[in-house]
Amino acid sequence: MSDSLDSLVRLRPTGGSGWAGSLREEALASFLEQGLPTRRLEEWKGTNFAPLGAMDFTRVGPDHSSGDTLNRPCVEISSEEHGLVFIDGRFDAAASQRSDLPDGIRALSLAEVLDDEPELLTGKLGQLTDLKRQALVALQTAFLEDGAVLVIDAGARTVRPLRMRFISTTADAVSASFPRMLVIAGENSSVTLLQEHLTVGAAPGFTAFVAEFHLAEGARIESVQIQSEGAERIHFTSVHARLGRNARFHSHVFSLGNGLVRSELDVQLAEPGAETMLCGLFIGRDKGHTDHFTTIDHAAEQCTSDEEYRGVLGDHSRGVFRGRVIVRPGAQKTDARQSNANLLLSDHASIDTKPQLEIYADDIRASHGSTIGQLDSDALFFLRARGISAANARLLLTGAFAHGIVDRISDEELRQIVGAVVDSALRSLEHGALETGDPSEGVSKQ
Amino acid sequence: MSEEPLIRIRNLHATAGGVEILKGIDLEIRVGEIHAIMGPNGSGKSTLSNVLVGKPGYEVTKGEIYFRGKNLAEMDPEIRAREGIFLAFQYPVEIPGVANNYFLRTAVNAIRAHRGEEELDAMDFLSILREKMKLVEMPEDMMSRGVNEGFSGGEKKRSEILQMLLLEPAFCILDETDSGLDIDAMRTVANGINQMRSPDRAMLIITHYQRLLDYVVPDYVHVLSGGRIIRSGDKELSLELEAKGYGWLEDGEGTPA
Repeated sequence: MSDSLDSLVRLRPTGGSGWAGSLREEALASFLEQGLPTRRLEEWKGTNFAPLGAMDFTRVGPDHSSGDTLNRPCVEISSEEHGLVFIDGRFDAAASQRSDLPDGIRALSLAEVLDDEPELLTGKLGQLTDLKRQALVALQTAFLEDGAVLVIDAGARTVRPLRMRFISTTADAVSASFPRMLVIAGENSSVTLLQEHLTVGAAPGFTAFVAEFHLAEGARIESVQIQSEGAERIHFTSVHARLGRNARFHSHVFSLGNGLVRSELDVQLAEPGAETMLCGLFIGRDKGHTDHFTTIDHAAEQCTSDEEYRGVLGDHSRGVFRGRVIVRPGAQKTDARQSNANLLLSDHASIDTKPQLEIYADDIRASHGSTIGQLDSDALFFLRARGISAANARLLLTGAFAHGIVDRISDEELRQIVGAVVDSALRSLEHGALETGDPSEGVSKQ
Repeated sequence: MSEEPLIRIRNLHATAGGVEILKGIDLEIRVGEIHAIMGPNGSGKSTLSNVLVGKPGYEVTKGEIYFRGKNLAEMDPEIRAREGIFLAFQYPVEIPGVANNYFLRTAVNAIRAHRGEEELDAMDFLSILREKMKLVEMPEDMMSRGVNEGFSGGEKKRSEILQMLLLEPAFCILDETDSGLDIDAMRTVANGINQMRSPDRAMLIITHYQRLLDYVVPDYVHVLSGGRIIRSGDKELSLELEAKGYGWLEDGEGTPA
């Protein structure tokens, strides 16, 4: 057990030359100074990340020794789509599709950018994070080598969603991956983005993902993130967005994995008229632990935030939700809404939910609410009285609850994709909870 | 009349939330028959219907119920439904987010699978659904809404009848389906119920009032009071109750019919 993750730190990239090298060194120093976050910190009260310190890492990045064990067709972006694939944090050009991107949109690997045009990153990469206060972001930055860089010129738009697929492979070794993402959206550009975090293999490991979104005036981003890493994986995500005047950032986070997960989202409404919608759904099963920590910073006037997270928790899973909303002095005409509703499906599941409003302006509207409930027993009985099995009745009800979040995705294609993975996660939860399933009549959405 | 009744209730005692409500009910219903159960508030009418469909919280403490020769005590609510028992609820529950048409197809297919019939795909189901919806005069846009979500009282009752028409149960229990209906809705609902009349099917109509029985004429009428059937007769009994109220029967509780 080590607060400084000796076995991991030993595996960090060396030969730190140039700008990236000094950033990594600075980040490492910050991490070592802070150590692993503990529950003594207010922001980490609900989550114990000590298991990370207990991991004995032997590999960072792709596994070159065991050959290619991946099922390539599952990993690759199909030829009708656009997207980048990262295996254990490193860009995989063969699996990616980036020819014929719409005009004004570039999808690059961070390693390429660092080599060829590092000036692209100046004033952007690392600008939205705080290495001195965010230990795990510092740790991620200490391993910064590769990731996705999306550069969207003013007025450019995606036609179909861009897919960013981050795959962790854990055949045997205890491995870690550190994918990074930087999105620079020019004035009045419009981007729809899918990020997937998946695990192949069942060995323990750690993924730390940091993303930064820079939205210029009038830029619009719809970002959908699906995290479905394995039970033995510790997953850390930290997403940061800065919105310029009248920019719009819609985030849809789906945490479906059953490992230890910390998902941070930090949105700065930096200039007047910016608007954000933060939706999230977490589905907990087995002994999964999912912690969502969101911060919305109303730093300018006339900005709007609408946050809705829902949790479905079964088995022995545990959920944590912290929704921090800051309304700075002068951020008049702020409209901030927040809600967190939770469904507990088991006596052993639990949720720890807390809104945290810090309001320093007077002419604003702010609301928040959180609920914790169980499935409606009358509704359950009604469905059973119509011949629907108890298991399928529960699935219909949890599905309805979960799809309330899925349906807020505006992109039709992504709504379908997410709907299918959410249904599948709910079925795993239901069938894991049951000794015997009823395979003759699994619910299938039309 | 020598054949096995569709449902046979013997000396049924049952509690609701731990309180004894039914205190010895005996009732036999054969296919082709329509029985009405009337009685004042609190007499145990709804408890009887809830016990028949196996609602949690209702417990049979004595006696037995046989449906087609099978002991109901051993059946979960969904199995009872698949075997052909249907309750049109007095207060149908709203289930936002579960689309009506999806719910209905799931229910129909669960029952078809139980009967060894092939499941219906979305298209086949839709044509059957449309046909039945006409019978209860339900507009098509209600099907994409959540189950009973935002439905008026009358729409909820019509929705129950629609479910009955689709599931084609052998034994239909209608729990105060007439309450809260205006005269047009009453006629629509009664039409739906009459569609279901068949020599292969039986019905138990639970009601306070005579008026539904003007449209759906019962073969037998029973009066439930204090958890027992205190009087049985034919449709004339319901007319008599309408005229005199329940008081005259309760005063002489136990008077043989």
